[in-house]
Amino acid sequence: MSIEDIFSSKGRVRILRILVEIEELNISEIARRAGLNYTTTNQHLQALENAGLVRHKRFGRIRIFRFNEEDSRGKLIKKLIENWETNK
Amino acid sequence: MYHHTNVFKNESKLDINYVPPRLPHRHFQLNLLNQFFRFVLENPGKMAQRVLITGNVGTGKTVLSQHFGLEMARKAKERGINLNYVHVNCRECKGSLFMILQRAILNFHPHFPKRGYSAEELLQTLIQILDEQNAYLILATDELEALIQIGGSDPLYKLTRIQEDRLKAPQRFSLICILREPKYLDSLDHSTRSTLQHNIIRLEEYSLSKLQDILKDRVDLAFKYGTVSTSTLHFIAELASSEGGDARYGIELLWRAGKYADALQLSEVSPECVRKAAADVYPVVRKDIIFSLSLHEKLFLLGITRYFKHSEAAYLSMGEAEGAYAVVCEEYDEKKRGHTQLWKYVKKLSALGIIRTELSSVGQRGKTTCISLPGVPASDLEQELTKILSTEKRRSNPHVN
Repeated sequence: MSIEDIFSSKGRVRILRILVEIEELNISEIARRAGLNYTTTNQHLQALENAGLVRHKRFGRIRIFRFNEEDSRGKLIKKLIENWETNK
Repeated sequence: MYHHTNVFKNESKLDINYVPPRLPHRHFQLNLLNQFFRFVLENPGKMAQRVLITGNVGTGKTVLSQHFGLEMARKAKERGINLNYVHVNCRECKGSLFMILQRAILNFHPHFPKRGYSAEELLQTLIQILDEQNAYLILATDELEALIQIGGSDPLYKLTRIQEDRLKAPQRFSLICILREPKYLDSLDHSTRSTLQHNIIRLEEYSLSKLQDILKDRVDLAFKYGTVSTSTLHFIAELASSEGGDARYGIELLWRAGKYADALQLSEVSPECVRKAAADVYPVVRKDIIFSLSLHEKLFLLGITRYFKHSEAAYLSMGEAEGAYAVVCEEYDEKKRGHTQLWKYVKKLSALGIIRTELSSVGQRGKTTCISLPGVPASDLEQELTKILSTEKRRSNPHVN
């Protein structure tokens, strides 16, 4: 996935911002906070996960998503968002 | 010019949730707890522990467990062991295993979803989290009565046997059960009861001198130097002692008396402030005590409060109490209990300090028990009981408004 694909989608950027702020959340809560529906949120998260930016942990039926801080790009994007938010 | 005086140095030290750095007169019990859980620091994962702490209201059950938990977690951290102490009040969790486990999980994942799964799934999730984080958990279930009353044996059985099918895996989950009276355990099935009764720590009521030491500690922490005299302290300790050695009541009294002193612009907490505070802090109107009464004990007490509300009399006889109870039973559509049963209620309510009883004096025909409400406005108690009874009615019959 190219950088344009990540940042050209408002939905993906919103999801990334939410994960920076809250750290870890399940899909329904991410969808609620991002104002997106469940399917769209799931698709965005899938894409972000494929790009290595986020990862999930499964607890029974529940998946909890968080930023993948082991990925250098993930780390940088997190920093970028944090910086952006503090210098608004 | 308005001059504002303040007897407090730090009133948060009198908060009900404050855990003091030392626990006077509970060293032995604290050492016992440390011994029970020594393995957590020395051989983590090799075993799990279940401990039962019992004792009356205000004997320091909660603070003992919290003090131990905080200390244990600190020591474990020093040794690089990921030990977590989570204190949950079962009554606050409405006696629901689901909510208790949820509180434990939120300690690890603060945004874990709050709906959409069963208590069993949560239990599995909790163990999974502990495994993944290589963590150990001591879960303290305070006011266990609520969990037993609502869920019976089942939830406790699940909590105590959580690790039985994980024989080779590290034992990560230990339990501290806190309850007022061990008699609640009688309603549990034999296996659950026996699991819990291995390690029991019984907290005796504090004596007057012990209460004085406890209150002295709190005065030093919360009040400015010289604002609470020894005689005032002794007076508060005496009142707390007469309430069955209830330290929590004493601390509450101390705080309220301090507030009165501030409101009256006094530079010192006077005995008069304590008396005013004592009139305010009704130890017997504590919701937890009233809540723990059985339905008919509550109905009987409601009858008594109604009698006093509409009468100028200081005492009512056993016969009058029975009459008032019969009216309440009719109102709540309950079959009234017999005289012997009501006599037992009187004894229990008297033991709890909610009512006071004495034998009728000369001048009255025959012998009867006279019942009074010591220092508690009947209207307040009636209001409280009506509220609790209507909540219970709604819970047992959710379709009726």
